[in-house]
Amino acid sequence: MPAMTTELASARHAVDDLSQAIELCFEKGWTDGLPVVPPTAPQVHAMLQAAELDPQQQVTFITNRQVAVTAEKVAINAVMAGCKPEYMPVVVAAIEAIGDPKWGYHGPGTSTAGAAVLMIVNGPMAERLGFNSGDNLFGPGWRANATVGRAVRLVMRNVIGSLPGRLDRGTLGHPGKFTYVIAENEADSPWTPLHVERGFDAEQSALTVMAAEAPHQFYNQLSGTAAGIVTTLCDDMRISGNVVGQPHYAVVLAGEHMRTIAADGWTKADIRKFVFEHTQNTVAHLKRTERLAGPVKAEDERALRPLVGTPEDILVVAAGGRAGAFSAYIPGWASRRASEAVTKLIRDRRT
Amino acid sequence: MARFEILDPTVEPRKQPLTYVPRPDSLKGKRIGLVENTKFNSDRLLLKIGDILKQEYGASETRMWRKHNSSVPAHDEIIDEARRGVDAVVAGIGD
Repeated sequence: MPAMTTELASARHAVDDLSQAIELCFEKGWTDGLPVVPPTAPQVHAMLQAAELDPQQQVTFITNRQVAVTAEKVAINAVMAGCKPEYMPVVVAAIEAIGDPKWGYHGPGTSTAGAAVLMIVNGPMAERLGFNSGDNLFGPGWRANATVGRAVRLVMRNVIGSLPGRLDRGTLGHPGKFTYVIAENEADSPWTPLHVERGFDAEQSALTVMAAEAPHQFYNQLSGTAAGIVTTLCDDMRISGNVVGQPHYAVVLAGEHMRTIAADGWTKADIRKFVFEHTQNTVAHLKRTERLAGPVKAEDERALRPLVGTPEDILVVAAGGRAGAFSAYIPGWASRRASEAVTKLIRDRRT
Repeated sequence: MARFEILDPTVEPRKQPLTYVPRPDSLKGKRIGLVENTKFNSDRLLLKIGDILKQEYGASETRMWRKHNSSVPAHDEIIDEARRGVDAVVAGIGD
């Protein structure tokens, strides 16, 4: 094995000033359509040092594309996205996750169905690094959420080759393809955090990726019961996504709904079970609406088809503003065989 | 104004040589493998193609395999069985 080096191997481009550098990045096709921070060697070194990575260390390997994603390329794209160096371990965890065979990069990275990479941050690093888990959850305004997701998309574009119209064939795509990062509101949540449900300790930090459609908001500003709110969610969810089978859904419950549901004693497992059971469609309905092929038979009126394979395929996350009786669900992409949500440890370099 | 350097964020995909087996001059008497990708109607499309290859081009038989899903390459079992059991393969997508 060759000795590790801290030298950067990437080609260098000389420019006269900052504005030329920004324009060069546009001309080269390296941006997501917004200006990027021109990546210089000192900034890239700072990013690598924050994650204690050597430039040529492989973060992941994308088999379908035969592309080794090195720490150096991740760091360059993280600088371009506007990340602080201390965000680098989070970006690395996300790249490891989308390179995991269970996530299956080629499908969600390419498909006409236009999935984005939903990233959910849990654990102490979420709060320490300033990831938003509250007001305007999916909106702009928080550097950590905005730049970490952007860095992942820039790596997908610049390193893995997911260029829109070429190897990213999304018919519609959605704004989450710019960035799609949320944190769970563990401070106010009455429930077990997502990363703990998925096998990590509460003291660890972790990032979960899910190939995902855009968030769908639902309202219930009247109900004061868990059953009322979650039934409303189910009514909205029942005809969504591919309808005939998804690998996952994420359900994001914001402040008011979270408190109302918890006050009735419902756990995340209770929510999952209820949602799984109350979002099923009859085979007859799916045939009448020509989502399934074939004539409607008598038994189709009673045969039920769930949205996901098991209740555990529904990821429940407590996040969103304290005020407002709104929450959201997010359909996953394709099928369980094609892409599964993956959770990776965020390596905390301070411990 | 001082010039400064920026680093290239892209990579060149790893290059690897690919060697194709010679295409058969004729399909007469040849065994044809069909690899379907699990998408709706891909099996029907490939079976129809297989029928045409038998009826119009003289292929002797067809055999179909199903991939694990549409986003992954054909798995090893398909490759091994195709190598042993057929003379040519048609892979397709019906969506």
